[in-house]
Amino acid sequence: MLDAAVYLDKLALFGRILRQEGLFVSPTETEDAVSILLELGLDDRETVKAALRTVYAKSREQQLRFDRVFDSFFLSEDVIRALDKKHSEQELERAKARQQAEQELADPVYSYDDAQREAFALLSEEEKERLRKLRDKYLGENSPNQKLYAGMVHSIISRSIMEQQMLMEDAAVGRAAVDPEMGLLFRDITLFEDREIPKAVVYIQDIARRINGELTRRRKKSGRSAALDFRATIRRGLETGGSFYRLAYRKKRAKRKQLVVLCDVSGSMIQFSEFVLRFIQALNQASGASRVFLFSEELYEADAFHLQNMDLFRDYVRRSGVYGRGTDLGGALKRINDMRPPALSPATMLLIISDTKTVNLAHAAQELLRARGRAGKVFWLNPIPERKWKYIGSVQTLAELCTMISCSTLQELGAACRRLALM
Amino acid sequence: MEIEELKQKLDEARYIYDDTLATVLYVALRLNRPLLIEGAAGVGKTEIAKVMAEALGRELVRMQCYEGLDESKSLYEWNYQKQLLSIQVNMGRRDGDELTKSLFSDEYLLERPLLRSIRAEKPVVLLIDEIDKSDEEFEAFLLELLSDMQVSIPEIGTIRAASLPFVVLTSNRARPLSDALRRRCAYLYIEYPDPEKELAILRARLPEVDAQLAVQVVSAVQKLRGSEAILKKPSVAETLDWAQALMALGVRELTPELMRSTVGFVLKNSEDIETMEALIAPEGDACGCGHDHADGTHGHDHAACGHHHSHA
Repeated sequence: MLDAAVYLDKLALFGRILRQEGLFVSPTETEDAVSILLELGLDDRETVKAALRTVYAKSREQQLRFDRVFDSFFLSEDVIRALDKKHSEQELERAKARQQAEQELADPVYSYDDAQREAFALLSEEEKERLRKLRDKYLGENSPNQKLYAGMVHSIISRSIMEQQMLMEDAAVGRAAVDPEMGLLFRDITLFEDREIPKAVVYIQDIARRINGELTRRRKKSGRSAALDFRATIRRGLETGGSFYRLAYRKKRAKRKQLVVLCDVSGSMIQFSEFVLRFIQALNQASGASRVFLFSEELYEADAFHLQNMDLFRDYVRRSGVYGRGTDLGGALKRINDMRPPALSPATMLLIISDTKTVNLAHAAQELLRARGRAGKVFWLNPIPERKWKYIGSVQTLAELCTMISCSTLQELGAACRRLALM
Repeated sequence: MEIEELKQKLDEARYIYDDTLATVLYVALRLNRPLLIEGAAGVGKTEIAKVMAEALGRELVRMQCYEGLDESKSLYEWNYQKQLLSIQVNMGRRDGDELTKSLFSDEYLLERPLLRSIRAEKPVVLLIDEIDKSDEEFEAFLLELLSDMQVSIPEIGTIRAASLPFVVLTSNRARPLSDALRRRCAYLYIEYPDPEKELAILRARLPEVDAQLAVQVVSAVQKLRGSEAILKKPSVAETLDWAQALMALGVRELTPELMRSTVGFVLKNSEDIETMEALIAPEGDACGCGHDHADGTHGHDHAACGHHHSHA
């Protein structure tokens, strides 16, 4: 029997890291972990891992996160040695790169901080060359604008730091994304391959069917607030000797929503938009008065009849002439806001499907505000994962003005559509 | 019970397991936590509850979840007809309060699986099957039972478990379960078995199946499961069904023709059956074992399908 204190310290730290990774770790879990380790001991690493995983991880996704944390926390001896070696090699390389950057960045105007020097070392040769040219051009000018130059250097370096940060975060979630067991439900929609689309469509239909069932049940339950159904109540009463033991109520009629869907169909968005439209169709929630608009630089109202066959959606979008051009959200919203008779009213819900990348952000924000005033509700489905929003200015600006929901995966998209349908 | 003892009992129940599964079952049992099992349909989630009941020598109480399942179907219901009859019979009695009290006694209580499992004198294994098919309200209702092993009946009060059942919940992940439910459970995810494990399961469940046929069936199923184009992956249950069907036909070797005629046992939709047609190479993989015989000029041994082919 081993001393519980030996485990407690380590497990408390391990628990904190797991909590940072989003797992539920309460004192109960730690208590369970200690008691089970006291019984099983620490001799067999795999047994310890399986036991702790049972206690701490409560879903498949959490199991994957747990495995990652466990493998980096409870290292085997060989791994520690290998890591040590790798670490010293990396340190050497970094020092070399820093030294090289010191020489290259001997700039009389702009002084680079340490993070920027490291970022410079990781820049592509093209970006480095761009910086060199910028410096030469600046030094060659008669009346150089120091502020403008410093701003440009800062912008190039900052973008590089941001890209590196995003790459690191992608690598961190990469394992979950490529795990075949996690399936298409948990993978980035925009990264689906063509051969995976039929399967994704099956998933969409399946999720939509469940949401429809859920909505029907909810309507059934909420029916109690409606009027009493005398005939059904009397009929039921006959089963219990004439006592009106169970009352029957009239069913409420399900109201379909009047949606105005604004779909971004630029190159990177078409797959996502197609999946959202499939969801909306399968959800059977849109009424006949609903309208779908496709936009890039231009706005195009989609024909409801053609949109019934989503397998031909891409051909249809290509024929409409809006596919593959730049994105002007402000322009599209303005046209919808100015429509006569009005497309938006307090009874409509405006659903914007876009990654927020647009020309003239200020105009887009202004028109979104106008649309918010006209429509009953405004929702934004964004295919960019929420963890990346902090790096993208347009997302931050537009998310302030409406309810923005991240749906980079089919599972998130299903959850978002369920939320919309329940409103 | 020690982990080795549990393993021994699982062996006695002829259940194929690995060390991880045994550890998970042991941890759940030792901590008295409900065990939430997730995984694709047909990988053996329900089977674990049955095997645990056999291994622990307990009765299995099963509750199948479905849309609309509520307390009256899962916990208890009053026998209304009997209550009304009793009222009619005792209409003239003066002690009305006593009569009312007696109407809400055990005599009129219809026990459903949840109540039965916690009122049982000897501990049972309670299987709450396909919890993802039930409503969110029912899931919330289960929380009291799972965390405190007690249930509340308004007319009677709180009933504490007379014996602690080993609770197994299964889910096909048709809808996400609440965090509150997950927090109360130990968790197990079952993946599709690898070829060796699937073969061992097949041999354990159908000991009379021909060895060569078993290997061929398993490798064909693994090949189908590994194909991205197959939408509904065949489960272990379907492997067993297929092997059984082939045995009933007296088959000793799986040929492409036999695969085509019996594929309904393993693939359940027309798109997948069409995909399978494409997967069966006409001149190459005639036995469906996944090995290329395209040269057709020499004999060679197949480690996976366990027999010698001669394609001279």
